[in-house]
Amino acid sequence: MPSFPDTRYSLVARVRDADDHQAWREFTAIYGPAIYRLARKRGLQGADADDLTQRVFLAVSRAVGEWRPDPARGRFRSWLATIIRNAAINALTRRPPDLAAGGTAVMALLSEQLAPDEPLQAALRFESRRSRFRLAAERIRQEFSDATWEAFFLTAVGGLSPEEAAATLGKTVGAVYAARGRVMHRLRQEIERDDESSVEEGA
Amino acid sequence: MMIQESCNRQRIETFLEGRLAEDEQERFEAHLDACSICRNELESTAAGQDFWAETSTFLQQDRLDDESVELRLNEACDFTFPATEDLGVFRGLNHTDRPELLRVEAYFDATDDPRMLGRFGGYEIVGVVGCGGMGVVLKGYEPALDRYVAIKVLAPHLSTSGAARKRFAREARAAAAVLHENVVAIHRVAEANGLPYLVMPYLAGESLQKRLDERGALELVEVLRIARQVAAGLAAAHAQGLVHRDIKPANVLLDNGVERVVLTDFGLARAADDASLTRSGVIAGTPQYMSPEQARGEAVDHRSDLFSLGSMMYVMCTGRLPFRAETAYGVLRRISETHPHPLRDLAPEAPLWLCDIVARLHEKNPQDRFDSAADVAELLGRCLAHVQRPADVPPPVNFSPRHNVLRLWQAASFRRRAAVLVVTGAACLLLAAVVLQAEARSTKGDLMPTQSTAGAERATSAAGSVRREPLMSEQMLFQEYEQVRGRASQLEGDWKAAATETTDSWEESAADLRRRLERLQERVEREAP
Repeated sequence: MPSFPDTRYSLVARVRDADDHQAWREFTAIYGPAIYRLARKRGLQGADADDLTQRVFLAVSRAVGEWRPDPARGRFRSWLATIIRNAAINALTRRPPDLAAGGTAVMALLSEQLAPDEPLQAALRFESRRSRFRLAAERIRQEFSDATWEAFFLTAVGGLSPEEAAATLGKTVGAVYAARGRVMHRLRQEIERDDESSVEEGA
Repeated sequence: MMIQESCNRQRIETFLEGRLAEDEQERFEAHLDACSICRNELESTAAGQDFWAETSTFLQQDRLDDESVELRLNEACDFTFPATEDLGVFRGLNHTDRPELLRVEAYFDATDDPRMLGRFGGYEIVGVVGCGGMGVVLKGYEPALDRYVAIKVLAPHLSTSGAARKRFAREARAAAAVLHENVVAIHRVAEANGLPYLVMPYLAGESLQKRLDERGALELVEVLRIARQVAAGLAAAHAQGLVHRDIKPANVLLDNGVERVVLTDFGLARAADDASLTRSGVIAGTPQYMSPEQARGEAVDHRSDLFSLGSMMYVMCTGRLPFRAETAYGVLRRISETHPHPLRDLAPEAPLWLCDIVARLHEKNPQDRFDSAADVAELLGRCLAHVQRPADVPPPVNFSPRHNVLRLWQAASFRRRAAVLVVTGAACLLLAAVVLQAEARSTKGDLMPTQSTAGAERATSAAGSVRREPLMSEQMLFQEYEQVRGRASQLEGDWKAAATETTDSWEESAADLRRRLERLQERVEREAP
């Protein structure tokens, strides 16, 4: 599973609990691309969006060391998800030059609650859900043959009708229906499983 | 009957769970071919309508997905290659260099992190920040120290040359010894998988090339600030006996937000010379900033960097390259044989002293340039102080121009030359008239025509020698020349505003001008070889 590079190593030292580490890897995989895409959509250049994403996670990784189990703050996963979202929203709200990766700027990035930006929060939810779908699709991909996957992808995503896809792939229309039904079923299972574990994050 | 039997909800669920036997599955698919009821049942059991819609949206590839690693690599290449129309002919280079980049990737070790391109020399490779004829610059992450680094790798085709490798390593070590705020620090020099590389801090700022591409010519203050820091960085490198040899805007980084300029890319230039320039006759990189001695393939010393600095200042002032031609060879010929188009034609607001400095850096003969980068840095520092505080700091005229007045004349813009001619001519006419008048008044004699002609001739010849003869003049002479010209120009103004002027002040001015011209001529005669 993808994980975010710059924080993983420092995290190994900081996070003793394997579950916590797992949560970290999961969230970086989900929010990394989400933050990048949001940043790009808000007009940042590719490299700047990359930097912004990296800085958010760098800031968060440093904050991870601060975390102490506290019933009021819930589990590590939910705390982490919240802090990543806050950091992302704050970073995206600010201008790039304000994003420093160290010292007080980091803490400001994490703790300072700017005026709630509803559209931005919704956009982040949307993008993180996109990430979840993509990661889930990646995870289940190898469970299916290329032909099955193609039948699913061409019709459910590519907009081809099952008849067109059948002609393209040299399959029967029934086989196309069967294939995309099975992939979709599996994808939904995967996303639902994901949703269960993310209930606590409040995603 | 058949269809009745087949329309079985249970079978759909069993199928979706993947528990249908193979032959049963075939029959189920055949059934789906014909039965739209079961199709619908299958679709809605698999996932709700919203979920199908979400899937379609989220798995759709879009513009942002096009920014795959490979495309970003290519962007990075374009970014360091000259993008202005001036450099159009060198675009061909990046096509041949792109495969180079891919070949560098082939030297990466595998990484278990899918966000990374690979691992190289113990660094996680985040991406490629640039590439050129000599190698590739990678953005790496150093886990142990939790920092980003820039890793410059010698291109594989160069690394097969033993001489290039040795030089790369030697020069990289030398560069590592240069500790200066305007020279990029070298963390490490090593070799991995057969490719030599060096590690530097990752600086987020843009290159001067990029800024020029985006914004064209720079403000005077920016020109001076950047040039001064480049000169200071060069001075530090030269002090270590290191010649940069590839001073160009792409190798000057403007540190993010901070007004600090960092010089990069020491060492690669020389390694590249060995392997590609001399051997294959192909110019590696951009020759636009080369010095004449470099262009001719002769030995170079630190003064070669000064010439390149001159070209860079020219580009910063005008937004255009000083030496341009259709081909790389044409550029090299121009560098060694011609003078650039007068800077002032392209940047009329550039102060004369700046033109002088660039002209001096652009001297074909290294001995005629400034002695050292340190001198240039110091001079530019004074220029900067003058521009920022004109009232407190005098203009920087007291650098000793080794060029003569003729060269100065050549370096002046057409408009300036025309203005000088008009003003000098007007002053001479005026002088002649005044002399004529004064002498007519004092002698009232018949010698008047002859004497006045002589006076006029004298004045004309003095002015003429200033603008035509190649004089080996020193700083004082130059200053005097400037003052005389200023006076002549003032006189011209007076002449135009004759109605408000008295004859006395005319005569005074004319006498002063004549005295100065005479002195100037005397000195010229004395000092001319």
